[in-house]
Amino acid sequence: MTDGVSLTGGPACPVPLSASARVLLGHGSGGKLSAALVRDRFLPRFTNPALAALGDAAVLDAPDGRLVVSTDSFVVSPLEFPGGNIGTLAVHGTVNDLAMMGATPRWLTAGFVLEEGLSFDLLDRILDAMAAAAHADGITIVAGDTKVVERGKADGLFINTTGIGIQSPDFRPAPDRIRPGDAVLVSGAIGRHGIAVMAVREGLRFDTTITSDTACLAPLVALLRDRVGDAVHALRDPTRGGVATTLNELAQASHVGIELDERVLPVPGPVAAACAVLGLDPLYVANEGLLVAFVAADRAEAALATLRSHPLGAGAVRIGTSTDAHPGLVTLRTTIGGRRIVDTLPGDQLPRIC
Amino acid sequence: MCLAIPGKVVDLRDDRGMTMGTVDFGGVRRDVCLAYVANEVAPGDYVIVHVGFAISKVNEDEARRTFQLLQELGQLDELEWIKEVADRSLAESADRGIEGSRDRRP
Amino acid sequence: MKYLAEYHNPALAQALVERIRKTATRRWVLMEVCGGQTHTIVRQGIDELVAAQVEMIHGPGCPVCVTPLEQIDRALHLAARPDVIFTSFGDMLRVPGSASDLFQVRAAGGDVRVVYSPLDAVDLAVRSPDREVVFFAVGFETTAPANAMAVYRAHQLGLTNFSMLVSHVTVPPAIGAILDSADNRVQGFLAAGHVCAVMGWREYEPLAARYRVPIVVTGFEPVDLLEGIAMAIRQLEEGRHEVENQYARAVRRDGNLPAQELVARVFEVVNRQWRGVGEIPASGLALRAEYAAFDAERRFALGNIRAQEPAACRAGDVLRGRIKPHECAAFGRECRPEHPLGAPMVSSEGACAAYYNYGRARLAAAGSA
Repeated sequence: MTDGVSLTGGPACPVPLSASARVLLGHGSGGKLSAALVRDRFLPRFTNPALAALGDAAVLDAPDGRLVVSTDSFVVSPLEFPGGNIGTLAVHGTVNDLAMMGATPRWLTAGFVLEEGLSFDLLDRILDAMAAAAHADGITIVAGDTKVVERGKADGLFINTTGIGIQSPDFRPAPDRIRPGDAVLVSGAIGRHGIAVMAVREGLRFDTTITSDTACLAPLVALLRDRVGDAVHALRDPTRGGVATTLNELAQASHVGIELDERVLPVPGPVAAACAVLGLDPLYVANEGLLVAFVAADRAEAALATLRSHPLGAGAVRIGTSTDAHPGLVTLRTTIGGRRIVDTLPGDQLPRIC
Repeated sequence: MCLAIPGKVVDLRDDRGMTMGTVDFGGVRRDVCLAYVANEVAPGDYVIVHVGFAISKVNEDEARRTFQLLQELGQLDELEWIKEVADRSLAESADRGIEGSRDRRP
Repeated sequence: MKYLAEYHNPALAQALVERIRKTATRRWVLMEVCGGQTHTIVRQGIDELVAAQVEMIHGPGCPVCVTPLEQIDRALHLAARPDVIFTSFGDMLRVPGSASDLFQVRAAGGDVRVVYSPLDAVDLAVRSPDREVVFFAVGFETTAPANAMAVYRAHQLGLTNFSMLVSHVTVPPAIGAILDSADNRVQGFLAAGHVCAVMGWREYEPLAARYRVPIVVTGFEPVDLLEGIAMAIRQLEEGRHEVENQYARAVRRDGNLPAQELVARVFEVVNRQWRGVGEIPASGLALRAEYAAFDAERRFALGNIRAQEPAACRAGDVLRGRIKPHECAAFGRECRPEHPLGAPMVSSEGACAAYYNYGRARLAAAGSA
């Protein structure tokens, strides 16, 4: 035999275990394939002492201040879209939930359910995005888990992230601090994320691609905390269900009414056009890098200036006011001077064709 | 079933005997069946589109009547400022670049 | 967006409101026929702006709402079949049948897909030769040309796995039926602009003459509707009863002839049941015998469907303009968008949905600011 295979060093398998381009069921079994997956793909990207210890749980030094915890699962389809991917959302999304409480985000856990057959190239892109987002957001991913389910059971992959942040006593925005007369601000253009995703799903083509606005809002919140302080009564990021759903939740939680002005809603031209074509209302379209702020009336201008001083808040505008009229209801002054209620939807927004 | 919106014809082509075209709706481009307006539209014309079909060509002379009314009213459109702000922030965010792996995609 | 945004212009809208207020010497009763127009009127608060000059009665302009319950049940039955890919426009998914809706059928495993054009359904049939593709073809004359082309195309391509469940209705007979009823209060009509973009307005001239009512072909944006209302009121004040065209940028008197020709080739006029209203002669379209292979009703055994109307639903009275949605006892209680009793509460063109979603009753209850 002259094919160059040497037997003196012991049998060498010509088909090594790890030569697979896709996730296999075995990668979730806890055995060698699982260990290799964690070691070769996850750890190098999320590297930090707590994770590297590879204990059953992460050990963290308890800080001063109150702990804020939030969890979210991410099931977006398609997995990739202009502006990011499911991994980007999984990091920024949970970090933003912490930031909306005025907390400084510190740590994240990440649980993955991978579908058998998911390509490693795609998984790598998602993990790269998570690593970059974690780095940008100033957080570390300290614990994780991976499971694999059969083909057809997971839409590519699902991610759950749980975030922990520290809240200081002097900045605690919350719905119960909203007062009638507060200014309602948004930090920028609305409707970008949902349209970016729908555009991929529906095969829409644009002159200028609409990109998801997915971003970490913690720096914006830090600026508001430092320059406006506790005149910022409440913060929330209007994700699923859009600005309309978020404002309804806040109106009900705080027992105030909210009045919006349709003339000043910052809907970019391409988003408005896509909504017209798809039969959607921009007020119900998801955002991932936007915040809504309720600010004491006499500090509204200062808050707007603060937001506009940061790139993420360059497009900030005031869209309305809270009121003691019609508590729990959100109303809208229409472009032509009429009035209507902005309600929550029964389920997903269905495209109006007709 | 009446929702139809106006868009600009970008191009026309034949699809196995049926005239199709690309129509631009404020920057969003869709494929539209132009069979019912094929003998009267050219690229640059506007059409009214319902469920993927152009059902009529926009009469721009008639539409101009509305523009003239606007001018007579001496309208200064403050709505444009809001739109500019929103569009500018969209462009700025796109310019800032996207975090994550987008640049590393093969 | 050009030819759209300018028709939301507030200054123009205000000027038209002023014109309406100056022209009317009494309160007139008008009906807008199309559900899309109802949607804009309620969403923008137009009827409230001119409430002293006009009472707007909302017409039966929602083809989903007037589709007989049996037809909805047939759709649900087809959607549940394992060999069928059931396609429809998105706003049909929540319309309730006797016991279920398309969302629930999908959750139970039915292959239900939203399309934006009937041609998408034809493409799906081409790509899925082993499945039956059925398209729920509901609409007025506006949608008939699209549906006609889809059938014509399927025929041309030699498809054997594509069919439509048809529920097409036409507008002029419905206007006639309204004008014929003993308790009719409508004095003038805003005709549906996109229906007329296809059909023209010739059919409305005999109606205006016989019943002596002004009919104004009107668009769908706020400025269009205000201008249409202004034109109708001016006719009423001047004692005229003509057909006028507000929506001149999109509508010509003869309409779109190639579209009418294909519709006439593929469909024929039939009598139709309008849910909640009854039978209106010559008010529907059905596929001609030559295209029977594409008619889901003839293709699948759908005979034994017995529909059960919910007792509390007053859709018929709403559709005929006899009551406003919030005057129905079930409105906002047993009947809401998340658990509707009838189609007008869930269809995007339904008057009940417009009233509920834009909060009419609740605004009134909360007290106007």
